[in-house]
Amino acid sequence: MLRSEHVMAAVRRGRLVPHRLSPRDPRALEAAGELCALYAAHLGADRASLVGRLEALEEELGPRIDPRRGFRVVRALARLLEERAEWAPPTAADPYAVRTRIFELAAELPGLPAPEPDILGGPTREEVLARVAAETGVEDPAAVMYADRQAAQRLASFEEVRPEQLLERYNTAQVQGVLYAAREMVVDLGPGADARTVFRYVKNLGLIYRLEPLGEGYRILLDGPLSLFGPTRKYGVRLARFLPGLLLTSPWRLSAAVECRGREARLELDSETCGLKSHHAGARGEGDREEVRRAFARAWERCADTGGWQLEEGPTILPLPELRTALVPDFTLRNPAAGQTAHLEILGFWSERNLVERVEVLREANRRGHRLLVAASERLGASPEALSGAVRGGIIPFKDRLPARAVLEGLSR
Amino acid sequence: MADEISRRLGYASRSVIELLYDAGTLVAAGARRSRELPEPFVWDGRTREWRAPASAYRRAVLWMREAGIPHADRAAAFQRLSLESRVALEPRPYQREAIAAWRKAGLRGIVVLPTGAGKTAVAVGAIERTGRSTLVVVPTLALLKQWYSVLADAFGASVRVGLLGGGYHEVTPLTVTTYDSAYIHAERYGNRFALVVYDEVHHLPAEKYAVIPQMLLAPYALGLTATPERPDGRHALLPELAGPVVYRRSPGELAGRYLAPYELVRIPIELTARERLEYAQADAVYRDFLRKHRLQIRSPEDWQRFILVASTSHSGGREALLAARKRREIQNSAVRKVATLENLLKKHWNDRCIVFTKSVEEVYALSRRFLLPGITYETPARERKEILDRFREGRYRAIIASDVLNEGVDVPEAGVGIILAGSASRREYVQRLGRLLRPREGKRAVLYELVSRETGEEFASRRRGEGF
Repeated sequence: MLRSEHVMAAVRRGRLVPHRLSPRDPRALEAAGELCALYAAHLGADRASLVGRLEALEEELGPRIDPRRGFRVVRALARLLEERAEWAPPTAADPYAVRTRIFELAAELPGLPAPEPDILGGPTREEVLARVAAETGVEDPAAVMYADRQAAQRLASFEEVRPEQLLERYNTAQVQGVLYAAREMVVDLGPGADARTVFRYVKNLGLIYRLEPLGEGYRILLDGPLSLFGPTRKYGVRLARFLPGLLLTSPWRLSAAVECRGREARLELDSETCGLKSHHAGARGEGDREEVRRAFARAWERCADTGGWQLEEGPTILPLPELRTALVPDFTLRNPAAGQTAHLEILGFWSERNLVERVEVLREANRRGHRLLVAASERLGASPEALSGAVRGGIIPFKDRLPARAVLEGLSR
Repeated sequence: MADEISRRLGYASRSVIELLYDAGTLVAAGARRSRELPEPFVWDGRTREWRAPASAYRRAVLWMREAGIPHADRAAAFQRLSLESRVALEPRPYQREAIAAWRKAGLRGIVVLPTGAGKTAVAVGAIERTGRSTLVVVPTLALLKQWYSVLADAFGASVRVGLLGGGYHEVTPLTVTTYDSAYIHAERYGNRFALVVYDEVHHLPAEKYAVIPQMLLAPYALGLTATPERPDGRHALLPELAGPVVYRRSPGELAGRYLAPYELVRIPIELTARERLEYAQADAVYRDFLRKHRLQIRSPEDWQRFILVASTSHSGGREALLAARKRREIQNSAVRKVATLENLLKKHWNDRCIVFTKSVEEVYALSRRFLLPGITYETPARERKEILDRFREGRYRAIIASDVLNEGVDVPEAGVGIILAGSASRREYVQRLGRLLRPREGKRAVLYELVSRETGEEFASRRRGEGF
């Protein structure tokens, strides 16, 4: 993420327009390319010289991109590359031990160690250094004495990136930067959006949400605990960190109230036109779960008699505000004739800790009167008793595939 | 977290109100009507519970106690500490008065004392008397490290001192943090401290930092400063944030008796012939550019505008930037300045001597040259404490410090101070002097200021002296 001083945005009629670079702009691409190349070529060299090179590039490339703000653009791009770099100390010796010994020996002398020998023949700097070299085996103690400073670190690794990717990352980072000053955010999730991912981010970031059903989809209002007592920018950074999560799915629209130079402005985005890409990976292990879900949906379609039950895929969101999260079941089953609704949750291959939290969520949804069927893989490792204690109506165990019949049996119980 | 959740779920039909700490706020679980709760509580429709800022804790508990409302306090997680300062310090009378006034005001309020009068000693006394988990909030990383060493000296035997901020993340019942880190982390640890000490409390009313007290349960607060007033008038918020001013002494009231007199020696440094020539050339380029673009340099903002104009100007901008840099370099590294410093260090080899410089790089360069320990904002907290301890014990004869000792609390008494290339800020100047104004038996402090001739620095030095 960028620092605030790298963030640039214009306000047009109360709307915020974050700065962006076109991935087709040859000058932006050139600058991104040179910066990427600089980092890649710098492997093994020290930080101070990289900082110097970057300063020179700022003055050289900046004005070409934008006469006024170009140097800030270059700085921001460098900042994003810095996230991909790892630095390591330049020496195996312990600079702290070396300098401490130098200071001790120098302080024991009857006078200031002379930087250059003089005719009086008093103690000299060279003598102190020579003695420390002999004691510690460090060849050049003066060079090593501050080798643990950041400026002396060497570039140990750099995860390379294509210039176009860097510009994409820049565009997302500028929007995130604008959000640092956000007080609240409203997200409208359209049909088919992955609400689970969205709520995973909401929960992990400690945000508080309110949920309103829309004609199609849901409206989620996001802020934090202290927002209750008046607007605060305290949660802006978290709303910024929420964005890459939202970018993992679609469709959505977003509107955020942002404080900008003492006034309120709005940032509005939608998944269709924003042209931003997430740099986060989706949840791991989702592949398996997707397969089980798809197989179940196929099995349901093939099933001749579903007793009037219809399978709905797509997000039903059951809000659980006390737990700061929401349950987004895999499927919702409706029986219009009987006027009944049930939700199906498939527990795949969860870690123990996730499972405990999940069971908590299920239990609370149950307590609120939602009818929940839980299908649990036998590979899950948890005892059915422990699970069914949490869930009324019992557990539907399955091996690799979840058969439609098993779910229908559960529904008739 | 899981604990808290199951507790909330488990207590569906409770008869007592449970106070819970929730991310910088106070939740009253099981309260049914608003009249069971004092004023700052409001119904949170988002999560369906009664909520107040964490700062309402003191008022809420007292109110419920008085009204006889059964409640269980599951919010507070602070503890009693048996704290006894190892440093046998006889507090000066005004320090004792300050602590007494603060106790009388209900362990909440602000103490105003001039720089160098030992505000830290007041805090150590207050922490010792309160004997509860304490959070100390300071404005800079340098002060973070300084408070660490003061508290470790005083209470290190009974409690481990924690640090939060500047790359440290260790929270203990006696923790030092910065305003910036407190802003970010207070909601995680805000229930662990009974007392919060705000050093340089005039920073607290800033819009961003004013949220910090809201997130802390701490029923007790102590604010310290030499100047509570703020140009933006927001000091009006201080009584609400940290309490009223409970004790105040001006420099005039303490001068002479407690602030040691000192002697100021200004040494003009002539540039060498070669430096003078180079300086004149760079200066001409620089001034030409200023004139051409009608710029005047009177403040840091003006300087930033110059950088902006120069870095985007098509003709002569780059040259002007280089010239400005060159000018500065000559000022800062004048050969005679280093030679003069060497002379002074030789002369005062047996006095305790602190060299102050503006530039971090200069600290390291001088440290390498003279083999004297340097302290900058980069110096780790433990090493910094070690260096200052050894200096105090006389094992180190001199130290070289960048700006980090400016707002200092634990700077050892020094007989000699040497300022290299200071900047034109009156406040900074006074505070630097303050470091040397610590009383020491029969000691008269000497402060040297090395000022380059024929450069802007002389003007800066004159300006700093104004009104002193």
